[in-house]
Amino acid sequence: MTDQERVRILSVEVLNGSNTLSKVSGLIRRRGFHVRSISVGPSREPGRSRMTLTVDSGHAGADQVRKQLERLVEVVAVEDLTGYEVHSRELIVARVAASEVGGLLERGARVLDAGPGGTTIEFAGEDKDVGDFVDELMRHGILDVVRSGPVVMRRTA
Amino acid sequence: MTKLTGADMVLEALEREHVELIFGYPGGANLPIYQHLPEHPKLKHILVRHEQGAAHMADGYARASGRPGVVLATSGPGALNLVTGLCTAYMDSVPMIAITGQVNSAQVGLDAFQESDVIGATSSVTKHSYLVTSIDQLPRVIHEAFHIATTGRPGPVLIDICKDVQLAEADRVTPERLDIPGYQPNGHVQLDRARQAAEALAKAERPVILAGHGVLLSHAEPQLRELAEKAGAPVGTTLLGIGAFPVSHPLSLHMTGFMGTGWCLKAVQNADVLMMVGMRVDDRVTARLADFAPKVKTFIHVDIDGSEMGKNVRPHIELVADARQALEAVLPHVGSLEEGRGRWLAQIDAWREEHPLRYTRSNGHLQPQDVLIDMYRRCRNEAVVVADVGQNQIWAALWWNYDRPGLFLNSGGAGTMGFALPAAIGAKFGRPELPVWCVAGEGGFVMTAQELSVAVEHQLDIKIVLLNNLSLGMVRQFQDDFYGGVRSQVDLTHMPEFVKLAEAYGLPAVRVDKLSDVGPAMDAAERTQGPFLIDFRIDPEANVYPIVPLGKGLNDFWEAPEHD
Repeated sequence: MTDQERVRILSVEVLNGSNTLSKVSGLIRRRGFHVRSISVGPSREPGRSRMTLTVDSGHAGADQVRKQLERLVEVVAVEDLTGYEVHSRELIVARVAASEVGGLLERGARVLDAGPGGTTIEFAGEDKDVGDFVDELMRHGILDVVRSGPVVMRRTA
Repeated sequence: MTKLTGADMVLEALEREHVELIFGYPGGANLPIYQHLPEHPKLKHILVRHEQGAAHMADGYARASGRPGVVLATSGPGALNLVTGLCTAYMDSVPMIAITGQVNSAQVGLDAFQESDVIGATSSVTKHSYLVTSIDQLPRVIHEAFHIATTGRPGPVLIDICKDVQLAEADRVTPERLDIPGYQPNGHVQLDRARQAAEALAKAERPVILAGHGVLLSHAEPQLRELAEKAGAPVGTTLLGIGAFPVSHPLSLHMTGFMGTGWCLKAVQNADVLMMVGMRVDDRVTARLADFAPKVKTFIHVDIDGSEMGKNVRPHIELVADARQALEAVLPHVGSLEEGRGRWLAQIDAWREEHPLRYTRSNGHLQPQDVLIDMYRRCRNEAVVVADVGQNQIWAALWWNYDRPGLFLNSGGAGTMGFALPAAIGAKFGRPELPVWCVAGEGGFVMTAQELSVAVEHQLDIKIVLLNNLSLGMVRQFQDDFYGGVRSQVDLTHMPEFVKLAEAYGLPAVRVDKLSDVGPAMDAAERTQGPFLIDFRIDPEANVYPIVPLGKGLNDFWEAPEHD
């Protein structure tokens, strides 16, 4: 199995609860999987959240990630988005030296604030755009950077 | 409307779930429940001597009776002492409810006296768990817990209840209908796959069926037998599946796995269709995975837990369903065989002749098999055998012809030393009409020997058979065979005199050193009403055979040396 084949993108609907995140992360650790990214936010249903997980299945079969998550009582539904046409968006917030901002703005970044400590910018985009933007960032003097991890939804059109 | 304390709600809920027995130990964080316990005479409480014993007793009770075992412990160290027992039940899919006291809800996370994060500590060894911080949650949580523990693939569920919740008062509430959106325990049989499975079996030249604990849990033994006879397919069982198919049946291969019978391993390794029912296909079954069942063209896997599909062996036909429902769906499609099984079954008979179970009898020592054969002669299929872990476990598995389900209990998945005595106590409570024999090595026995007090207190008719070889036998065997012969920290000559230990606890006991004393000692045990211990001093060099060397495939099994 190639590295790419081991990685699954999962959209997981979970019941809100004090143990839900630790149960999910504990299961992933215990089964020998590796989290590449995780993002969580409220879902459409009250009392539930939507997790977007990018997980490397490690030495296990790739479908084991979904199957093991489905065993958790806190998990209501798991959708494996791997291989589908999706919207995958990620937010990046970075602080760079003021002199470095120009090239980043041309790529679609937006200034959040500016001061003597540097300029804070944000960028949101699809997977590839984010990758390109990160490459561009690396060429500048990054003072700090925060990434949300991708949120993913299947395309309907 | 009547006001109830949380403690009363817990006890009422247990009654509503038809609980008869609680195995427990009181402490600061569950005292409100114990305060109200005498008001609930329907709930019989067994005071254990260590919480691990409580979990194993509940486990043995559940395995023997088919009803969920219930454990009650206090917070912190009391709850943490359950972890090994929860793990044992989790690995073997045993229904159990563990209720633990927790510090007051306002103190959670403040490192209060006897506080521990029990949910965190047990999350990997429970099917589900709850932290109850409000009395309003109690009725629903307990109702849900029993449902989750006993349905689908059973397992232990832990309910951690803050002390202030036990003391709080609220109106009596009967739990409403279950609504657990993330829990759909029952797979449904896909009929086209059932038909495919039947066709594969019918077309096979060399079919083999392997049966695991799931067959016993779903009471699918009659369907398994009918399928085997209809399809002319021989059946082996896993260690936990013993009893799923009669060992004395002509189609029985007895036990599979890396300590299974030679003829079963030969059959598995030469099969062209392998149907695996209610089992995890774990490493103890497959040995070296790359060498497992190399001639199989069609793997059929039946299990209620979909996550077991493809976890170790990728099946060609998967049936995610209860074993009995799946077999019932397969059976109507098993028609007349394209050709008879005569040649295949004759080959298996030849392997049975070629690779019999055997043991040495000429070195002057008492052999464990001598003891077990005598026991079997007495009990046949009218007793429950509860084994500990190690050589004693495999000897007890191989040297009896278990022809009925529920007669052999052991810790298969977790391999928990110390399981046998408390589990035998639980089994006796679960099946009081049957004799219960506890088979243990001296190493495992001393890990939970304090529970002898419980056996004596309740005068339980349990016969304890110690197969005492003065060492950690299985580890010693592994060191001899696979670790360069270096015997490291396996000597158990410095152990109590078990006859005196038994007497100190208040039960009769004898020591047996030679074959001629086996019968009289067994007679004495059978005549005694109540617990009885026999310390059998067996051959210290006795080994378990067959055995597949570590890292090797099933074809490479070693047999007992030829002798006398």
